[in-house]
Amino acid sequence: METNLVFEGVKFMGIGMGAVFLFLAVLIFFMGVMSKTVHKFFPEVKPNLGSSSKSVQSNNQEQEQKVVAAITAAIKHHRES
Amino acid sequence: MRFMIIKLLTFLMLLSATVYADDAAPVEAPQKASTHKEETYKTQPFSDMIGGFLTSTGINALVNPNPNEMNAHGEAMSDFHKGWGRVIMILITFLLFYLAIVKGFEPLLLLPIGFGGLLANIPVANMAGPDGFLGIIYHMGLANQLFPILIFMGVGAMTDFGPLLSNPKTAFLGGAAQFGIFGTLVGAVALAEYTPFFDFTLQQASAISIIGGADGPTSIFIATQLAPELLGAIAVASYSYMAMVPIIQPPIMKALTTDAERRIRMSTMRHVSRLEKLVFPIMVLVLAILVLPDSTPLIGAFMFGNFLKESGVVDRLSDTMQNALINIVTIFLGLAVGSKLASDQFLVADTLAILALGIVAFSAGTAAGVIMAKIMNLFPGSKVNPLIGSAGVSAVPMAARVSNKVGMEYDRTNMLLMHAMGPNVAGVIGSAVAAGVLISIFK
Repeated sequence: METNLVFEGVKFMGIGMGAVFLFLAVLIFFMGVMSKTVHKFFPEVKPNLGSSSKSVQSNNQEQEQKVVAAITAAIKHHRES
Repeated sequence: MRFMIIKLLTFLMLLSATVYADDAAPVEAPQKASTHKEETYKTQPFSDMIGGFLTSTGINALVNPNPNEMNAHGEAMSDFHKGWGRVIMILITFLLFYLAIVKGFEPLLLLPIGFGGLLANIPVANMAGPDGFLGIIYHMGLANQLFPILIFMGVGAMTDFGPLLSNPKTAFLGGAAQFGIFGTLVGAVALAEYTPFFDFTLQQASAISIIGGADGPTSIFIATQLAPELLGAIAVASYSYMAMVPIIQPPIMKALTTDAERRIRMSTMRHVSRLEKLVFPIMVLVLAILVLPDSTPLIGAFMFGNFLKESGVVDRLSDTMQNALINIVTIFLGLAVGSKLASDQFLVADTLAILALGIVAFSAGTAAGVIMAKIMNLFPGSKVNPLIGSAGVSAVPMAARVSNKVGMEYDRTNMLLMHAMGPNVAGVIGSAVAAGVLISIFK
């Protein structure tokens, strides 16, 4: 009896999709486990406060400079007009 | 004392004499050779020389095919494939140049493939044969599947698994899209079974169906292993359809979703720590080792590249993989695939079936991804926008961009790009697994 190729193809589809989903399901499960473990035992070190306060300071300075520039421009404009 | 000097002189003379004798010997040999040459070279009349030159031209080779000419595998070719077939193939390569340069279809691959095809169809020179340079490149890295693996390494070094890690369940979308592969496999064997024109074996059908994975290197990897005779058509179909993702996918995505579904907003992504990203490639590889070792050549190379990138301590190596290495391999891969565009292998009815099945495979994969997203929305939990389902076909990052673009058509502030990258990279893993399954079946 000649084998029906289409039936063979359907069998391939069953095995193939089954393997892909099985693999991804196991992967999803372990991704969850791994994320929890990592967050529990090795929490990511927060960026240290020293550098962040520095950046805030520099931000403030920038802002001040901008304000000064704006005021100077306004005064100049006022005098000229 | 004088006696000593005479002795020394005679010794020197003897020495020089022997040296001269040694010198003289090889001088004679070329003289002999040249006289020999003169014997074989016969003077011919000028008219004969012109005639001889004319018979060696390409025009003559195309118009009057040489009956003794063999194809790259040393098999006989039909006169059509030696003559007009080559002209047609050269015109097809011009079409590939047009698509690559003017339309911007995957120029990085279609240009080397097209030019390789142009060179492979030159009569007389036989560049695709085992001694031609295209043939040498083919045997160097494509016949043994080296090039696709190296490309995978580079792709791994360019991939960021962050979006997948922050929303792991979207990996199922990448799995569902692999239906494109297996659905097309059934379609191809059905064609072979119920139509008289095509006669695909299961190996050939599997090689064709992997186009549905929308992953060029995987397609080439499988095709060289299962059906090397179809490699040219499969690679061209795979890369051209990948380039056409923005045209093929949106109508399918719109047809399968409602307006409300397309406007679904997905929750913002959580931050993924560096350690998670570093552990992930090793974890996937360990799973592949345990579940499906046949997929480890592809997954192993992919994860190697990714691991180097995420380790953060070997930027030089990861940079080489992402740029220099992948560029060099792309040139060789393109030329080697192009060498399979010889007229006797490409101008066959099977090519048309491959092109048709390829687009079916892409569409089926897209549809399956979208439908899977809708199924996932039936379950409780955070909702998934079905538009990112289509990104489950690999085609990184084109498919994810298409999801984002279609989503923005309906809600300008709904950014789906990063959400779509999750299924997108899961699709790469999924198609590597599917490839491993096919390889394990035919072992």
